[in-house]
Amino acid sequence: MSTTTTATTPKLWSGGKSPFNVEYGKLMMWYFLMSDAFTFGAFLISYGTIRFSTNGWPDPNEVFKSFPFAPEGVHAPLVFVSIMTFILIISSVTMVLAVKAGQNMDKKGVTTNLIWTIIGGIAFLSCQAWEWNHLHHEGAWWGMNPFLNADGSASSTNFTNYFFTITGFHGFHVFSGVIINIVMLIMTLTDKFEQRGHYLMIEKAGLYWHFVDLVWVFVFTCFYLI
Amino acid sequence: MSHTAEHEVHHDGGTKEIVKVTVILSVLTVVELILGFWMMGMTNEGLRLAVKGSIVILMLAKAFYIVAYFMHLKHELKNLIMTIVVPLALFIWFITAFLTDGNSFRNLRNTYDPHFKEQSTIKVEKKEAPKHEEKHETKHEGYLDETRTTH
Amino acid sequence: MSNEAVLHAHSDVATHDAHGDHSHEHHHHETFITKYVFSQDHKMIAKQFLITGMVWAVLGGLMSVLFRLQLGYPDATFPWLESILGKWAKGGHITPEAYYALVTTHGTVLVFFVLTAGLSGTFANFLIPLQIGARDMASPFMNMLSYWFFFGASIVMLSSMFVETGPFSGGWTAYPPLSALGDASPGSKTGMDLWIVSMALFVVSSLLGGLNYIATVLNMRTKGMSMTRLPLTIWALFFTAVLGVLSFPVLLSGFILLIFDRNFGTSFYLSDIFINGVGALPNEGGSAILFQHLFWFLGHPEVYIILLPAMGMVSEILSVNSRKPIFGYMAMIGSLFAIAILAFLVWAHHMFVTGLNPFLGSVFVLLTLLIAVPSAIKVFNWLTTLWRGNIRFTPGMLFAIGFVSLFISGGLTGIWLGNSALDIHLHDTYFVIAHFHIVMGVASMFGMFAGIYHWFPKMYGRYMNNTLAYMHFWITIAGAYMIFWPMHYEGLAGMPRRYYDYSIWESFKQFQDLNRFISLVAMIVFAAQFLFLFNFFYSIFKGRKLTTLNPWEANTLEWTTPIHPGHGNWVGEIPEVHRWAYDYGKDGKEFIQQTTPVGPDESHH
Repeated sequence: MSTTTTATTPKLWSGGKSPFNVEYGKLMMWYFLMSDAFTFGAFLISYGTIRFSTNGWPDPNEVFKSFPFAPEGVHAPLVFVSIMTFILIISSVTMVLAVKAGQNMDKKGVTTNLIWTIIGGIAFLSCQAWEWNHLHHEGAWWGMNPFLNADGSASSTNFTNYFFTITGFHGFHVFSGVIINIVMLIMTLTDKFEQRGHYLMIEKAGLYWHFVDLVWVFVFTCFYLI
Repeated sequence: MSHTAEHEVHHDGGTKEIVKVTVILSVLTVVELILGFWMMGMTNEGLRLAVKGSIVILMLAKAFYIVAYFMHLKHELKNLIMTIVVPLALFIWFITAFLTDGNSFRNLRNTYDPHFKEQSTIKVEKKEAPKHEEKHETKHEGYLDETRTTH
Repeated sequence: MSNEAVLHAHSDVATHDAHGDHSHEHHHHETFITKYVFSQDHKMIAKQFLITGMVWAVLGGLMSVLFRLQLGYPDATFPWLESILGKWAKGGHITPEAYYALVTTHGTVLVFFVLTAGLSGTFANFLIPLQIGARDMASPFMNMLSYWFFFGASIVMLSSMFVETGPFSGGWTAYPPLSALGDASPGSKTGMDLWIVSMALFVVSSLLGGLNYIATVLNMRTKGMSMTRLPLTIWALFFTAVLGVLSFPVLLSGFILLIFDRNFGTSFYLSDIFINGVGALPNEGGSAILFQHLFWFLGHPEVYIILLPAMGMVSEILSVNSRKPIFGYMAMIGSLFAIAILAFLVWAHHMFVTGLNPFLGSVFVLLTLLIAVPSAIKVFNWLTTLWRGNIRFTPGMLFAIGFVSLFISGGLTGIWLGNSALDIHLHDTYFVIAHFHIVMGVASMFGMFAGIYHWFPKMYGRYMNNTLAYMHFWITIAGAYMIFWPMHYEGLAGMPRRYYDYSIWESFKQFQDLNRFISLVAMIVFAAQFLFLFNFFYSIFKGRKLTTLNPWEANTLEWTTPIHPGHGNWVGEIPEVHRWAYDYGKDGKEFIQQTTPVGPDESHH
């Protein structure tokens, strides 16, 4: 920690300024993300609970094995989803770069990186749309599960129920993140932040975007890997 | 403002750190995927569980890197870090209690619900996936997946 | 600003946002709409929450009177009921469907709209900026949205009373399958849809509010107001907001899954269901217990969301009116913290008889009984605050003492219910009703009344009438005990809750007279609340005017504002704080306000 922090530490909590050295908006964003983490946590834990209370469960590698433009019946488990994962990670990286550029008041850097982030988000959403569509064609939807358990017994519909609900809720977050980023882009291009003298809004949008990436780490693991 | 920029750089470790974290995240993901491929067709249940456990640990490591570096939490004041991290500890009991009870519910049903037990032992022969147009039926029939109606 | 110059840009922004010069806002032109309707002033929003909460309290109370009528007089007919309720009271007799709808709505409305929004919504909004020395909330706009989402939730809930099939009638806990299947009961159809929509809006409202309260308390305290100088009200409201922010999202998730079960053919909560007249449902593989887990993961913290604000206000009021410092200030904070943590760890004690794993249940028993420790710390601290105090029995003080009494009586029965072995016998009996109404319902209402009587002069610049207030207090406290004390006996005798008519059971016939007595008192107590309502609205316009800034001679910052504070609260500079909030009777001075600098020869506390 730098000297400035230690110098002010004894007085941090004594009022008159933020004890965390952050403006209230960022603080609220953090706490909002925390409450959102509980929303997603509750979803994933419910999924786990149902899975623990069920005897069999489909093998994700048998379900998520397709690839766009590949011939029907191709067996390529984990390939498509790993592409989706990397898209999201890379878009997170460009978001960090945008935030960093914002801290340096570098309008051009912010613009370029935001555009890349938006492209990444849209790419992810397109992948998800393709995957949903593909699964739907295979007969999977809320309340319908064409897949068998790994041991060959009949599977309950909760596999698809949870898959569509949770990835849908995550996709909704990605979608709103893209919208937020587009708004940020417009505000950057119209010099809103230059006039304000800071790019703090980008940081908050960045927090949200990273959170979306963070949630995907969990969703990816829970649905595709284990 | 120049002071600020300097300050930030001093705190962050700059672009180098971003590159480093990106590499770490990618490596962790690749390791996860390798474990995932290795797990396919694995018959040893104990080993399978161990692999799943290590995947979860890798997942938490990834989460740590995203929160700490991308979301910048590591460079915030310790107080802020504590207000974020401490409440997350509630997840420990949240997860433990829910999963324990889920598991217990399965045991209860296997003991007292013969139909439930029987259901999970009957193998269903693989059928062709139903075609798309079959799906828009009435709501109640929609619940049934085609494989289950066969028995 | 000298010490802030070394901080980097973020904190500069924070400082400007938090403590920038808002004093010019007094000159803003305010129309009726911006002042009373879409107001962004925390004091006006607090009043909006309060009055909406009062409307709901009257409606919810009226519902309880109606179903108490059925319980007290199961054989009688009241033709006037049919003229107000129509088909829900055919022949002057409340129908079973209407009875369940009334019970359900009474619970939902009182728990969420009155004791969550009406209590913490009102006092968090009103007191946080005033007591920490801030011009307004961190985000006044979000604060306004918070109220209007609550208002929307209210409208949707109200509209559910008027749908053909009636409002939701499966109990305020909304357990599936009653809540998940429209075919299960009339109330599970449109009424339930509206119920969920209303609750979803309510969750949004409380999240917006809660985030704001947390950010405000942490970030916007005035100079010198360290966390350990905060009045206990603020600490309590802060933990309340934390509880809400962390637990309401879980309820939202639970509701989203419920919506899918209702409308999209999923079976998250459903398995092996057979409905009379419909047949076996294909839904399989779900678990109804899962919903209960999710619900109570919110539901238990919700109990403390209701209780903590009352605790905080009572601590403050007891100290002010005993003319003594609060006993054990740090212990009070510690116990609030402990309660807030434990609130998240004990939810399954509501589910001991659901088929929950008994071993897991025993862990929950242990955690539940741990709550007795911080609760006892608080009770003893209140009692020792009162001990040898120079007590002024203002109406606010009476209600605060009443709160302590009720919290003890209701809390002790919590120790019984927290034991899973005893709970097998007591679960879903009137013992439970008695327990939670005393410890959470009536006690928190008392906290709310205490807060209103105490801070009314700050809200409206006038006093409420004391005589009416004393009558209100004595009727309410005596009535509360007379209603709920006998229910313990009924519960111990095994009388289950939520039954429509007990007179047909041989074993419960003996309680017929007792039930009638309870119903009678309930009606009297309900009528007595109109003393309060009249007092409240009359005093807004005609009450005795305040002539001094600090009528209770209290230390906290809200009493340093003008009698009618404008938007921005303080004229000129915001005050600086030099001491904690509880310097009463120190060094021969009766009270020393927080803004008074520490004198050179002052003793240490």
